[in-house]
Amino acid sequence: MTWLWLKESQKADEYLREIQELGQLTQAVQQCIEAAGHEHQPDMQKSLLRVGLEGRAGQGWELSLLLSGSSQAASFGKCFLDRFPPDSFVCMCQDLRVLNAVRDYHIGIPLTYSQYKQLTIQVLLDRLVLRRLYPLAIQICEYLRLPEVQGVSRILAHWACYKVQQKDVSDEDVARAINQKLGDTPGVSYSDIAARAYGCGRTELAIKLLEYEPRSGEQVPLLLKMKRSKLALSKAIESGDTDLVFTVLLHLKNELNRGDFFMTLRNQPMALSLYRQFCKHQELETLKDLYNQDDNHQELGSFHIRASYATEERIEGRVAALQTAADAFYKAKNEFAAKATEDQMRLLRLQRRLEDELGGQFLDLSLHDTVTTLILGGHNKRAEQLARDFRIPDKRLWWLKLTALADLEDWEELEKFSKSKKSPIGYLPFVEICMKQHNKYEAKKYASRVGPEQKVKALLLVGDVAQAADVAIEHRNEAELSLVLSHCTGATDGATADKIQRARAQAQKK
Amino acid sequence: MAFPHRPDAPELPDFSMLKRLARDQLIYLLEQLPGKKDLFIEADLMSPLDRIANVSILKQHEVDKLYKVENKPALSSSEQLCFLVRPRIKNMRYIANLVNADKLAGRTRKYKVIFSPQKFYACEMVLEEEGIYGDVSCDEWAFSLLPLDVDLLSMELPEFFRDYFLEGDQRWINTVAQALHLLSTLYGSFPNCYGIGRCAKMSYELWRKLEEEEDGETKGRRPEIGHIFLLDRDMDFVTALCSQVVYEGLVDDTFRIKCGSVDFGPEVTSSDKSLKVLLNAEDKVFNEIRNEHFSNVFGFLSQKARNLQAQYDRRRGMDIKQMKNFVSQELKGLKQEHRLLSLHIGACESIMKKKTKQDFQELIKTEHALLEGFNIRESTSYIEEHIDRQVSPIESLRLMCLLSITENGLIPKDYRSLKTQYLQSYGPEHLLTFSNLRRAGLLTEQAPGDTLTAVESKVSKLVTDKAAGKITDAFSSLAKRSNFRAISKKLNLIPRVDGEYDLKVPRDMAYVFSGAYVPLSCRIIEQVLERRSWQGLDEVVRLLNCSEFAFTDMTKDDRASSESLRLILVVFLGGCTFSEISALRFLGREKGYRFIFLTTAVTNSARLMEAMSEVKA
Repeated sequence: MTWLWLKESQKADEYLREIQELGQLTQAVQQCIEAAGHEHQPDMQKSLLRVGLEGRAGQGWELSLLLSGSSQAASFGKCFLDRFPPDSFVCMCQDLRVLNAVRDYHIGIPLTYSQYKQLTIQVLLDRLVLRRLYPLAIQICEYLRLPEVQGVSRILAHWACYKVQQKDVSDEDVARAINQKLGDTPGVSYSDIAARAYGCGRTELAIKLLEYEPRSGEQVPLLLKMKRSKLALSKAIESGDTDLVFTVLLHLKNELNRGDFFMTLRNQPMALSLYRQFCKHQELETLKDLYNQDDNHQELGSFHIRASYATEERIEGRVAALQTAADAFYKAKNEFAAKATEDQMRLLRLQRRLEDELGGQFLDLSLHDTVTTLILGGHNKRAEQLARDFRIPDKRLWWLKLTALADLEDWEELEKFSKSKKSPIGYLPFVEICMKQHNKYEAKKYASRVGPEQKVKALLLVGDVAQAADVAIEHRNEAELSLVLSHCTGATDGATADKIQRARAQAQKK
Repeated sequence: MAFPHRPDAPELPDFSMLKRLARDQLIYLLEQLPGKKDLFIEADLMSPLDRIANVSILKQHEVDKLYKVENKPALSSSEQLCFLVRPRIKNMRYIANLVNADKLAGRTRKYKVIFSPQKFYACEMVLEEEGIYGDVSCDEWAFSLLPLDVDLLSMELPEFFRDYFLEGDQRWINTVAQALHLLSTLYGSFPNCYGIGRCAKMSYELWRKLEEEEDGETKGRRPEIGHIFLLDRDMDFVTALCSQVVYEGLVDDTFRIKCGSVDFGPEVTSSDKSLKVLLNAEDKVFNEIRNEHFSNVFGFLSQKARNLQAQYDRRRGMDIKQMKNFVSQELKGLKQEHRLLSLHIGACESIMKKKTKQDFQELIKTEHALLEGFNIRESTSYIEEHIDRQVSPIESLRLMCLLSITENGLIPKDYRSLKTQYLQSYGPEHLLTFSNLRRAGLLTEQAPGDTLTAVESKVSKLVTDKAAGKITDAFSSLAKRSNFRAISKKLNLIPRVDGEYDLKVPRDMAYVFSGAYVPLSCRIIEQVLERRSWQGLDEVVRLLNCSEFAFTDMTKDDRASSESLRLILVVFLGGCTFSEISALRFLGREKGYRFIFLTTAVTNSARLMEAMSEVKA
């Protein structure tokens, strides 16, 4: 029938109508389209397709478009069949176009339609890639609108991998050529290409290619493989991924000797602090070596201080650790820390002696607490000796004694102490501390000795509102007056309150 | 008075989704180890875990017994052990000891380690070194954002502060970036980004990278939150070091709020046991006083008590039907309110008692003097006395740091003498504490001729770029000058007040510090939001010695609704205080914004100081 129709025979129409009446037109069209697929001659394919097309809704232009490889334009025919689904027709046209292209004698892959379908387009593309027919492969991908990652990118990557094997082209040119073609096509992994380059022994090229890799995480493993650990380290740091940095560090640690490893770290503060953190928990000795290497005496000193109470147990060991620390601090020109450390050595020895002689717990108390403990134990002489030896400032000593004696509730001794000389901290603290121990009687003794500035406060503390009011009035101090007034409670201090109000009124008159 | 929100205040996004996500993921991980198992939980993870999945949920997924990870041998008899830990080397050793002990005893069990929020290579390394890498399976529970309240997300990583700002360890930055990425996936990406500080910048860049790698998914979403503001804690230590006087801050300072709840002791509950109380917007009484200056709280509470009484009293003269109604509907609510009210009154009393004992007024006076920069000598001797009397090691340290930062370092004589005094009072190991504080720039010595030159500031700017990372170590000691006084003047942080500052009707954010000081961090945020950029703040940025950045994505900005553009996510890297939160809530009400807070952890002065302190083990 086809032939008849093609020859513009009148009979064609008749046959056609017959088929249509039988309701087999759809099937017939489908068969024509399939037949075209199995045909090898483009002319024949076209004819068959044209018939198929006739059966469709007269969109003959598609044919010319789809088979645009040939010069013949398709003729237009009448529409015999409505709503024939176009998909199979379009697909066939595309498949044929691909098949015709690879069957070309330049390419020479004479595939049949069935073979092609069996093979799938992916495999066909792989074969083209294997034959290094990259441009054709890419054209096919673009023509079939394959997603970039499966299509064009993949082929470009293959191309690049081939490109890096061209030994006669310089690293520079290859890298540039690849970058020009690839740009930042999604799905292309520069690190894969670089790995290939490295596989061909072109390390320099690989490094150049890695420069184009946007993800630092991808660069690092290859760089490590290529033994470019230092470069890998800086790339890892750039990525901001501390795990990556750590991976490189451990690699470096095994690869380099200790000295070189430390030197590398020295130039990378971020890596250094990461490694230090690790050492602090896992390899204390390494940490010490690190500081030694850097001549970081300050940290070294701190390290030994920590050791003096964390790792060493015997007193001799602790003192020795402190001595090392002090030496380090001197080297670091940190005299303050060195002196403080030496003081601590003295204190430790002394505390040991105290424990031996007096019993009880002294080790590891602070200086302040040591003296307090002595006073509480009734060893006043020793306490004073210690205070002198360590040049405890007067103020501190007074606070300390005051608190300790009040804790002992040794009021007699406290009074003696308060009279030993003029208090460097004033007498208000005496009042306060007595009141804290609920000893109003003792408190009153000291209230009278409080200096004028704090007198009101002291009197209020011992509850002598009336006298406080007198003093405040005498001082003509507004703030003090308000303070006293706020302490006046109800009936008992009614008279005092009145007195203050009067004084205020008077002051205002003036 | 309790601040009502403005009627036009934007709605907050629903953050409970984060909880559901975390719970589902945890359940999935637990199911990966089918059958009965014992769960070992790190102490720090217990409270956060409790907010996500309670014991009954765990039991549903065949968790048999719960143990705390601590330095004691475990007595578990289960055939399957699951460890839920932070990625710390210490924990790895604990697990290794346990597994190796089993090996010695010829016992085989299944072990699974779940790292939260992520695992670190160093941890796996330790497992390998200890020879048990093959015996355990490792997993990650990417639980990094815990919604503590409707507007507060916490990463619950208090160690972030010490790790980054003291040790220079950047490993948590990745976690921050992941958290931000999660937020932008769930709530749309942020059209406007601002930030200040090195850490902020690194987090931002890493986050951007994550977004780029995974682009496409988030693009279509309408942004729900219009702005994001990242800032480093070290740009403003002053605010964090001040005593808090806003109720929530004061409760935190006094009782320590942990993971959104507080343990009120017997002195508060006026019974013989402690009570764990959840503090958030759901507590109606607390919600009304949390942002108030403490001096208003008592008055408010007693007013509230009177109202409550009146409501109770209504039942007199009711007929039966009304009474039935009252009992079935209102009584429960009233009782609940009554309970809360008495708790908070108890808390207030307890705070008052503690504060008067410590002469709080005197302390606050000293702090204000330091902030304003007058009577430095007097303040110094106050601090000295504070140390001599052994009032509190942490408090003394805090005051010393506050003095140092506000004064651009201590003068050499004071630096030595205060340190000596401190060592005498609290023990020699604090020599290390001082070395830490110096490194972090919290307690330093004035060097002669110590002014920040343009060159220095340029150097520190360079340092923020990757290439110049090499000088960071040198930089950390070199450029940590606070310039607080100059900044304070520039930004007008000390408000001039004629007469008394009315704390009942605050005019500015200074109310959170009794009207004496506007929190620096909050002021910066205010200024940048007003300008929608850093323009005109160059001088401040230079003085702050941090690098700033801003980024506006116009395409997203156009798509954002006007409502979402008034929502601001503030990210505090290294922790934020409740005072800062209150101040920004206040600012929000004034300007019609709503702030959402994301912090690595809620902090306060004591926590900061403890993070820097060396303690004998």
